[in-house]
Amino acid sequence: MDMKRDYYEDIEIFSSNTVLAWSMAFMIFLFAFPFLVGNYYIYLANVILVHVILAVGLNILVGYTGQISLGHAGFFAIGAYGTALLMTHLPMPFLLAVIIAGLIAAFFGFIIGLPALRLEGPYLAIATLGFGLTIMHIIGTWDVFGGRMGIHAPALEMGIPELGMSLVLNTDMKIYYLILVIAILMVIGGKNLMKTRIGRAFVAIRDDDIAAEVMGVNLTIFKTLSFAVSAFYAGVAGGLFAFVVKFFDPFTFNLILSIVFLVMVVVGGLGSILGAVMGAALITYLQYDLLKNMGELPYLGDLLVSFSRKWFTVIGMDNIGGFLLGLIMVLIVIFEPLGMFGIWIRIKKYWKTWPF
Amino acid sequence: MKGFEIRGYVILALAALFLLPLTAPAATPGVDKNEIRIAQWGPQTGPAAPWGSVARGSDILFQLVNEEGGIHGRKIRYFVRDDQYNPAMTVSVVKELVERRGVFAFVGGVSGAGGMAVKDYLAQNKVIWVSPATALNEYVFPVNPYLFGMYPLYDDEASVLTKYIVETLKAKKIGFFYQNDQYGKDGLTGTKKRLASYNNMSLVEEIPVEPGEKDLSSQMLRFKNSGAEVVIMWVNPTTATIALKTSATIGFSPQWVSSNTLSDYALMNAITGGLWEGVITGAFALPPDSDNPLMVRYREAAKRLSPEERWGTFYLAGIAFAEPLVEALKMVGPNLTTEACLDALNSITDFQGIGPKITWRADQHQGTDSIQIQKCGPGGTAILLQDWTSNDLATWK
Repeated sequence: MDMKRDYYEDIEIFSSNTVLAWSMAFMIFLFAFPFLVGNYYIYLANVILVHVILAVGLNILVGYTGQISLGHAGFFAIGAYGTALLMTHLPMPFLLAVIIAGLIAAFFGFIIGLPALRLEGPYLAIATLGFGLTIMHIIGTWDVFGGRMGIHAPALEMGIPELGMSLVLNTDMKIYYLILVIAILMVIGGKNLMKTRIGRAFVAIRDDDIAAEVMGVNLTIFKTLSFAVSAFYAGVAGGLFAFVVKFFDPFTFNLILSIVFLVMVVVGGLGSILGAVMGAALITYLQYDLLKNMGELPYLGDLLVSFSRKWFTVIGMDNIGGFLLGLIMVLIVIFEPLGMFGIWIRIKKYWKTWPF
Repeated sequence: MKGFEIRGYVILALAALFLLPLTAPAATPGVDKNEIRIAQWGPQTGPAAPWGSVARGSDILFQLVNEEGGIHGRKIRYFVRDDQYNPAMTVSVVKELVERRGVFAFVGGVSGAGGMAVKDYLAQNKVIWVSPATALNEYVFPVNPYLFGMYPLYDDEASVLTKYIVETLKAKKIGFFYQNDQYGKDGLTGTKKRLASYNNMSLVEEIPVEPGEKDLSSQMLRFKNSGAEVVIMWVNPTTATIALKTSATIGFSPQWVSSNTLSDYALMNAITGGLWEGVITGAFALPPDSDNPLMVRYREAAKRLSPEERWGTFYLAGIAFAEPLVEALKMVGPNLTTEACLDALNSITDFQGIGPKITWRADQHQGTDSIQIQKCGPGGTAILLQDWTSNDLATWK
């Protein structure tokens, strides 16, 4: 929407001082957030931030490179189990463990990227779906991973107690700041990556992979790289997720989760970092909070419950929740193919010219 | 500017909708002059949704209590939250209920992982949790002062079933088919302990299975070749269905025995195409068509209050899980506090509703080791073979 006059303007992270100022204000709000709300909302914010990291990574793959993945719950699981097990069995500080776990996930991403060179569309969807399910079953079968019973995340140790440096993050608020810093770094990292030669190569592959190859983009390298980067994001998100929930089993990382991740990216806006952030926040908030509590809304709640019992199944309110979530997706895909990012652009335009 | 005005109203209305649930909770958590807030989580949607009926079953008991005027003048306000069998969501709904709604106690709760994820949080916030709908040793050993379990442990159940197989069915050759996880292994342990008490009897065959396995022909052939008269299976519904169908095709028909997790006969009979008839299982509640007066009362109430629900094992388990909490609340009297309710729960002795007899002490929060033994009759009906039997070999008592 904006006119770019030269290359350097195109690669700026903040397109104007206004954007920079608002970003700073938003940043201050995020850092003040835990002091403004109760513990429950901090937990919810933690889950949202974890999903933001994952959605930004998934968007690099789906939105920017044009490859589909129905297996991101698998990378998420590798991150969660990898981080928790590295910290349980080796005395390792969290940041090192989460980076190693992220790299393991990235390695698996690279492996999955190889068949992606030959598979497209639904075939790639099936291959990645198979990967996600396989990871779930392997973790469930091997006792090292705690089997199907699940495992506890260890204490979130940032230092090395053996060397007398110990810093344990044990409350939702402390974990919030850790996740917030990592999320900000990774979102900026994602935005930056898209402005480099690598990011432009991804976009070229999405628009036309043959044309991209003709222009000198090595498909083998960049497709697998896109999978690896995306999986790294999912792995880091998984590593943080482990400490947000503190207990998880393989079934946590099921197919539905992979689909929800994809929904976040599509609803937020394909090919937009901001869209991924908004999509993750909206879908998580709807799924975890608003749609769960509609039944207690005055008047409207009782009406919806009786409506659901009469016309849907016995489970009541949760029918409406699933229905609304699906409706939002359908409406966005039909009327706003750019997702929430598209809505955002239009709001911006509206205010720019307001009141005319 | 008409369009803008309308847009403004829409935004205002949406903002109001978002802010409404923020209304503050009462001063004392979960109890005030007119109501006691009780909650349960359970998968209502998603892949584990069939188990969601547990949470809806409890509602019948609470509605009955409220119809009779509540407990010492207070009505029960009951919240059900769908966690989709996802522990992250269990933590979220539990924190929301505790911190925003103010909940006095939780009952039931199906998912094992979800329960493990919130167990410590509930104890830290002094919220009572009665009758988790999963048997996990970590819930009750060591004693968690706020958590009271009544689901029979799997090794106790297997031990009682094995006693029945050896002493009543007079079987000599027993095979054991188990899911390769804690659930299956607990069952195996119980059976082995029991067999060891009969002059070191042993299993003719024990075969583990991964829950995703679809081809069970080699396992069933091994059981057939071992000459097993009885095969105990500690598996999930899908595996059990495949096992029965495979055995039928190779002409192997032992007496199948299984745990209470497969005691929803109507469901099992439907998915096995009638092969479930004759299978013996443990049960943690009376048969659905029992003429026990309590059962009759609940059945009538369910028909009246929630006619579209299927009156199945898991639905009525929800009632059984909620009974001891209601009993304790009645015992406490009008001055209800968390401490008073804990004292009442700790003093529950030989209480029996439609589930097993329950006894809780301050140092023992596993309420029972009793099961019933039932058999699937024609058309998925339940036949009672043996009334409540406790495990005389239980080591934890």
